[in-house]
Amino acid sequence: MANDVLFLAEFAGGRAARSALELATGSAELAAAAGGQAVGLAYGAGAAAGAAALGAQGAARVIVLGGDDRPAITYAAALAAAVREADALALLAPATPNGRDLAAALVGLLDLPAFGPVRAARVADGTVETEQATLQGSVITTARPAEGADTPSIILVLPNTFTPTEGAAGSAEVIQAADAGDSPFGHAKVVESHQADARVANLDEATVIVAGGRGVGSEAGFGILRELAGVLGGAVGASRAAADAGWIAYQLQIGQTGKVVKPQLYLGAGISGAIQHRVGMQTAEHVVAINRDPDAPIGEFADLFVVGDLFQIVPALTEEIRRRKA
Amino acid sequence: MTYLLTRDHDELRALVRELAEEKIAPRAAQIDQSAEFPWDLKELLAQQDLLGTCFPEQHGGTALDTISQSILVEELARADATTSLIPIVQKLGALPILIAGTDEQKARYSPRLASGEWLVAFALTEAAAGSDVASNRMSAVRDGDDYVLNGSKRFITHGSVANLLTVFALTDPAAGGRKGMSAFVVETDTPGFAAPRVEHKMGIRGSPTAELTFDDVRVPAANRLGDEGEGFKIAMATLDRSRLSIAAQAVGIAQGATDAALAYTAERRQFGERVVDFQGVQWMLADMASQTEAARHLTYAAAARVDAGASDMPYWTSSAKLVAGDIAMRVTTDAVQLLGGYGYISEYPVERMMRDAKITQLYEGTQQIQRMIIARQLLERAGVQKRPPHAGSTNARQ
Amino acid sequence: MKIVVCIKQVPVTGAEKRYTDDLRLDRAGVEAIINPLDEYAIEQALRLVDSGAADSVTYLSMGPEQAAEALRRALAMGGDDAVLVTDPALAGADEWATALVLAAALDKLAPDVALMGMASDDARGSLVPGAVAAKRGLPLLSYGAELTLVEGAARIRRLSATGFDWIEAPLPVVATVTDQVGEPRYASLKGIMGAKRKTLESWSLADLGIDPASLRGAALTRVTDSRPPEQKPPTERIENMAAAEAATRIADWLAARKLI
Repeated sequence: MANDVLFLAEFAGGRAARSALELATGSAELAAAAGGQAVGLAYGAGAAAGAAALGAQGAARVIVLGGDDRPAITYAAALAAAVREADALALLAPATPNGRDLAAALVGLLDLPAFGPVRAARVADGTVETEQATLQGSVITTARPAEGADTPSIILVLPNTFTPTEGAAGSAEVIQAADAGDSPFGHAKVVESHQADARVANLDEATVIVAGGRGVGSEAGFGILRELAGVLGGAVGASRAAADAGWIAYQLQIGQTGKVVKPQLYLGAGISGAIQHRVGMQTAEHVVAINRDPDAPIGEFADLFVVGDLFQIVPALTEEIRRRKA
Repeated sequence: MTYLLTRDHDELRALVRELAEEKIAPRAAQIDQSAEFPWDLKELLAQQDLLGTCFPEQHGGTALDTISQSILVEELARADATTSLIPIVQKLGALPILIAGTDEQKARYSPRLASGEWLVAFALTEAAAGSDVASNRMSAVRDGDDYVLNGSKRFITHGSVANLLTVFALTDPAAGGRKGMSAFVVETDTPGFAAPRVEHKMGIRGSPTAELTFDDVRVPAANRLGDEGEGFKIAMATLDRSRLSIAAQAVGIAQGATDAALAYTAERRQFGERVVDFQGVQWMLADMASQTEAARHLTYAAAARVDAGASDMPYWTSSAKLVAGDIAMRVTTDAVQLLGGYGYISEYPVERMMRDAKITQLYEGTQQIQRMIIARQLLERAGVQKRPPHAGSTNARQ
Repeated sequence: MKIVVCIKQVPVTGAEKRYTDDLRLDRAGVEAIINPLDEYAIEQALRLVDSGAADSVTYLSMGPEQAAEALRRALAMGGDDAVLVTDPALAGADEWATALVLAAALDKLAPDVALMGMASDDARGSLVPGAVAAKRGLPLLSYGAELTLVEGAARIRRLSATGFDWIEAPLPVVATVTDQVGEPRYASLKGIMGAKRKTLESWSLADLGIDPASLRGAALTRVTDSRPPEQKPPTERIENMAAAEAATRIADWLAARKLI
């Protein structure tokens, strides 16, 4: 029991979010090291039907908190009740707005230690140990729960920290959580919902991101980036400058006030790499940057820095990749 | 007499610098190239309460000490000399009212000037009367409860955008400029007033320098500042104080140029090295920085004396303006030199700063006039007898 | 309608930062500013006052004594008064302890809306608002691009994957807003001068009725090591090359790493 590892499994529109799969994988790894089981806490539309499939990523059990399409925070009371009962070592939550809100609620309701967003988590000396990049990536700290702190430790996890196994099989035991009753968190409700014309990609789920900044110059300019993202099987993101200029939706903004992403490949075109953007993508596995300015700050921390005109290089690269794939 | 730079001064500097770097510096090149008055920046300064620093709180001003006012101008000028002129001229134009106006006149005009709702300009100079102020010709003839103003003014900064002018005209031509001039407040929507021309200039190009014409402009007697015949005295008292703003402007321009040259030379590489690592370059930068610092502190020392009401205040303000103006010219010229060919093109700010710096050696009293003022005080202190005036000249400045 | 904005003083973005020997954030000697993301919360609160929807804004911060500077800067932007919770027992406080203390202070101030920014610039937190809501037993409205007040309730506009939603909860609430609120105003000169005359109170843990022992050392987590990040291999540069050749080189680079 005290060696189990819990994880949040968010469902939306009938499917599991990618974070649910990643955290299932991560929990299974940690649970194995601790000598316990990975237990999911699922919520959102499609949770009941999809819960069992989390077994394929290593979940032994999944507790379904609810299957409504309500704001995630409204599940906080049910979540806390389930966590209290579970008596686990750790709980993995995605470092997304919903994940953070639920993690925060647990910290406040149950007085639990919290870590993250972490870049690594492991079991050591019978407790969890985490690594995080703090102070805008300039320091790596290792942390553990303090003496006498309660369990589970709440761990915020960035996307792409754990990689789900493709094509695995397995089925988890599904348990319906008891009704937690009314709670203040439950009083938030959606009163109006506005849909945009097109569905905007969820950058958290992307393993490849092609991001554009001020240098892209216009909404039309982003078309070139979309083509490259297409052949790479990735999503398009942006710096704040591009979002403010209205060239791309705000949901795609990466940075201090936007999303924090950790893709396998981040390719930034026409992005200078100022710190406000950098903190949103600096933990990407591979960083490639294309910029006209040889002194752009992004050139300091990119793995590959290409000095040149993105309007020439990006289409040429798209062509080259297409050619190689053919 | 000493002065202290306090935390309040630091906070003010930080506030203005942030505003200047974020909102003003990015516009400077475009203002210079288009030669258009930056109304948006005037609004910004007004909103931030930065146009009311010389007005009392009861009229909506912030009554800052003169050092603070200098810091404000310095930090604006560091980003853009044209924009720094907005509070400078607001003060220059208002000083005659603040110095010689009645309580009623101050209450009538100050609130809208302090808030920046209205702009005010100082209209003294004429085509044939620059340094030789007493040669003014514009006339103001009493007619019942009004004065009728006729004549023209030249080189009036903000003359074409101001709502209010403080104007100097002869009420007694026979008595000559020194004794026969009076000061008036004129609202620019008065019939007969026009600003027909604006000059095409070397620098501070976004600041309109206007020719003004007065064609039977009727001004109520209640708009006269002080008594008839006090105009010259009021004008001189105004300039004794306002020239300090120019000193601060010059310091700011010099600082901006020094900062730009340092940043550039630290990046630029020639002969396999950073230009800033050459000793000759470092020596130039050291001279620029230390001279700017000297000008700055002379300006603050003068500011302290203004606030203390020191009787030798003109000696100090003239010294500050003289030294700072010459240093600004020297420093900006060196800044262009340090950037080499790039210093000469408009893609870099230093050529504009050099063109802007020149005016600080010319307006609000040329450097030659400043030297006359300083010399006069020196001789007086040393007990040297005044030389008798030239025969036949009632207007000799002595 | 009373709003309390919780702000934090942090080292300026990009300043050199380090941990002290006892593995705490070294805040001394570094220029401190209001956490930039909190400025949006301040701006949102002041807009609600400007429009008449709210009557007063109080700022609340927990930190060392010099955090009063951040509160003065906030007061210079607008608002009525401020409270600083400061106590030696709070040195090194983690998000849990911060939430516990802020919650107690907020209960004492009893606002209709307790407003915060998204995250803290220096420690990349973001758990404080939700934990505060939990401690106070109040609803949480988070990541709002905008906050409005309606009869007896607060609403936020939150971006979703497919557009946006308006989410509502009855007052009192805890809420957070993002940078989409709009550009925070500059402090005007009168604002700065006026800020000095506004009340800034200092509260200790005793004033909040919190026994320092209950804070369990002010942190439930412990940093056990701090080190600089791994040296990345130096950036490879491609320059002075025709687009087609550059594209080939990039593609080779990607292929070598099995990215294509």
